[in-house]
Amino acid sequence: MSENTAAAVSLGTARRGGVSRSPSVGTIFRVVFILIALTFSLFPVVWIISAAFNPSGSMVNQTFIPQNVESLDELLTNFNRLFNDPTVPFWSWMFNSLAVSGITTVLTVAMAAVSAYSFSRFRFSGRRALLVTTLLIQVFPNILAMVAIYLMLLQIGRYIPFFALNTHGGLILVYLAGGMGVNVWLMKGFFDTVPRDIDESALVDGATHWQTFRLLIVPLVTPVLAVVSILVFVGTLNEFLLARIILTDREKWTLMVGLFNFVSAEFTNDWGVFAAGSLIAATPVVLLYISLQRYIVGGLTAGAVKG
Amino acid sequence: MSASSLASASAGGKSAGAGGSPPAPSAPPASVSTLNYLVRLLLLGVINAGVLVFGVTLINDGNAFLGGTIILTTLLLSVVLLRNALKPMRWMVPSLALIALLVVYPMFYTLYVSFTNYSDGHRHTKNEALAMMAAEKFLPEGAVSYEWNVYRREGAAEDDASAYALLLTDEAGGSFFAAQNTALETVSAGDPPEAFSGYLLLSGGDRFRALQVIQAMQFGPADAPIGIQSRSAAGEFQQRWVFDAARDVLMDRETGAEYPADNAAGEFRAASGGTAPLGFWVPTGFENYSRLFTSPVLRGPLVQVFGWTVMFAFFSVVTSFALGLGMALVMNKPFPGIRIVRSLLIIPYAIPGMISILIWRGMLNLNVGVINTTLENLFGWAPPWSVDPAWAKIAIIMVNLWLTYPYFMLICSGALQAIPTSIYEAAEVDGATAWEKFWKLTLPLLLVAVGPLLVASFTYNFNNYLLIEAMFQGGPPIPGTSAPPVGYTDNLISYTFRYAFAAGGTRDYGFASAIAVVIFLIVGALTLFQFRFTKRLEEIGENV
Repeated sequence: MSENTAAAVSLGTARRGGVSRSPSVGTIFRVVFILIALTFSLFPVVWIISAAFNPSGSMVNQTFIPQNVESLDELLTNFNRLFNDPTVPFWSWMFNSLAVSGITTVLTVAMAAVSAYSFSRFRFSGRRALLVTTLLIQVFPNILAMVAIYLMLLQIGRYIPFFALNTHGGLILVYLAGGMGVNVWLMKGFFDTVPRDIDESALVDGATHWQTFRLLIVPLVTPVLAVVSILVFVGTLNEFLLARIILTDREKWTLMVGLFNFVSAEFTNDWGVFAAGSLIAATPVVLLYISLQRYIVGGLTAGAVKG
Repeated sequence: MSASSLASASAGGKSAGAGGSPPAPSAPPASVSTLNYLVRLLLLGVINAGVLVFGVTLINDGNAFLGGTIILTTLLLSVVLLRNALKPMRWMVPSLALIALLVVYPMFYTLYVSFTNYSDGHRHTKNEALAMMAAEKFLPEGAVSYEWNVYRREGAAEDDASAYALLLTDEAGGSFFAAQNTALETVSAGDPPEAFSGYLLLSGGDRFRALQVIQAMQFGPADAPIGIQSRSAAGEFQQRWVFDAARDVLMDRETGAEYPADNAAGEFRAASGGTAPLGFWVPTGFENYSRLFTSPVLRGPLVQVFGWTVMFAFFSVVTSFALGLGMALVMNKPFPGIRIVRSLLIIPYAIPGMISILIWRGMLNLNVGVINTTLENLFGWAPPWSVDPAWAKIAIIMVNLWLTYPYFMLICSGALQAIPTSIYEAAEVDGATAWEKFWKLTLPLLLVAVGPLLVASFTYNFNNYLLIEAMFQGGPPIPGTSAPPVGYTDNLISYTFRYAFAAGGTRDYGFASAIAVVIFLIVGALTLFQFRFTKRLEEIGENV
């Protein structure tokens, strides 16, 4: 029912009032619109897949269907070049990205969940002030303080090498702090929807708060933990500015910093290699997104924004 | 509702037992909790002591703000951990520590740095700069005090610098053996021995070759090292830069020049005008801000950068919201294969942004990119994307549209489903056309739900560094700007980045921080506007 009405609305916008009301016009219009959108959205994707398998590897010679391919090995020319080029430590970059994002995700979810439980279940003086403060703080993206963050790691690094500039420890610390506010809020919102009677009865039965949290609440809030995990993981994986400032060694770069610097050099000639690397890096993330799109949409509307 | 009972239950460790819920058996004996408390106290004491030492070290080295913040944060969190009334906050100690130290402190520190001249040449505090310069040694001319002979550890390779040692003979005939980083060892007078504690004397050609290795090296104790001055003479190194704290003057012992400290400019400047190799950073008041707003070299680009930042954010949101909404409306009626189409359409949003942008950058390459070669073939002309300011901006907005519209499609799809059908039925009864229903019902209702996200998206794109940098690195450059060069597609955040971190340029942290503070203010204003939209702040008071 609602769908029909809304569709009528959509056709109305499309027709700009004038044209006839026959449904076939609307259908044709819809199909054309969708086809244009699909072309716009998918052409770059198809093009990069084609580039990855073009043996010539340079942008000038790229054809849509790879030409003169006689063996599987030839089809994988760009991949072989990518893996064997000593100046492009692709797997190190992949590993760095996955490690930094993975550790950040696990720690963020753990710390934010515990904080959110406390905000959701306890009443204490200063609670409201703390909540408002975290909300206000998280509206300023931490890249605005990039200079201060850089100088701070510089200063701290002289005493604690683990968190110095050019370390993954320092980068993870910065990521953890940067996303904490918004994720605590996201989780608290969900925690509030879990009826209090559940944990109250457990407390009456003699469970401690920690037991209640771990054995009762955590299983109930798994959906929001999943949402936050995905958003944090993908967000961290995509982050560029702070990673670029903090990590200076080629071997320590994350994938995004590595790809950016790789491309800055000889782009048109290394197009195929870049395409191969992009394909490897993007495929898992895209599959993750598509398979979990329902969760992600929920998380997006709750406040996290990519674009 | 049940909040009050929980509140009392959680208000304190022991009152949880007494306050009602679990009856006697689970309440721990007093002695256990006392022991527990003591252990906690001890642990915290150890941690606090460590942090205190660290903080004081930072303060002594001139980083008073950081040291102070770390100490203060630790003390506050210790109070949280010890006071039972604050027990619920114990759950958040790690989060709060992180937010305090790595989010809140950097904000204030940005503000502070924006009032200093922290930059290349002024990268250290005065104490740090003096300490670094004090490490520089020189060999005074003429102060010959030793004749030298060189020894090498038995069996060591010729190029192993660490294997060399000197035998020094002073004018009175006393001999000393000087290995590296050890005190001088007195040797009985007379001709130099052929071998001394595992070292062998080098002479003739060996001695000459050894000179190549050891001529710039330091021997003997690290605090008063000795070096080779000539083919036969050695002398004691001296500290080159000596600071006279009483007169606040830095002296160059090598040249005899004096460099009085200029504490307003953060330099040691000689009367002749030369400066010592290292300056230090000092507060300079509003200098960065007045440069930002009054310097004609900066003002022109800044106005352009600011205008484009707003324009980019605005058009990004409007275009991707429009297309996203359009797609959501089109996709609102089920058709065969809708799930596959929807999955395909969100692919651009799922691909890591950096990768998508670089793909577009390749496709928009002027000479060999697929888009331009195709257009050339079809029309004999293609837009000069990366060299023309206007086309560069269009390219960026187009790429952002590609990246972002699936997001708005997802959001709008959800919001459309939530609009109750009864409204449309009522409108139809009143004879509204489809056009009117869209403008008067769908869009306003949608904006209520999506409005805050539009503002959030505006804020995000206001600070979109990734797209600007990965696409054209801010280019094409604005003529007349150099070191760092500023481009027509630079936005405020990439402009900040260029002043603080651009390769090749001077790193001017103070100035970059001043720009960042301006952005903070703008984002703050935007957020106020957004809160008006959501009334989220008021909700906090009510619902929780």
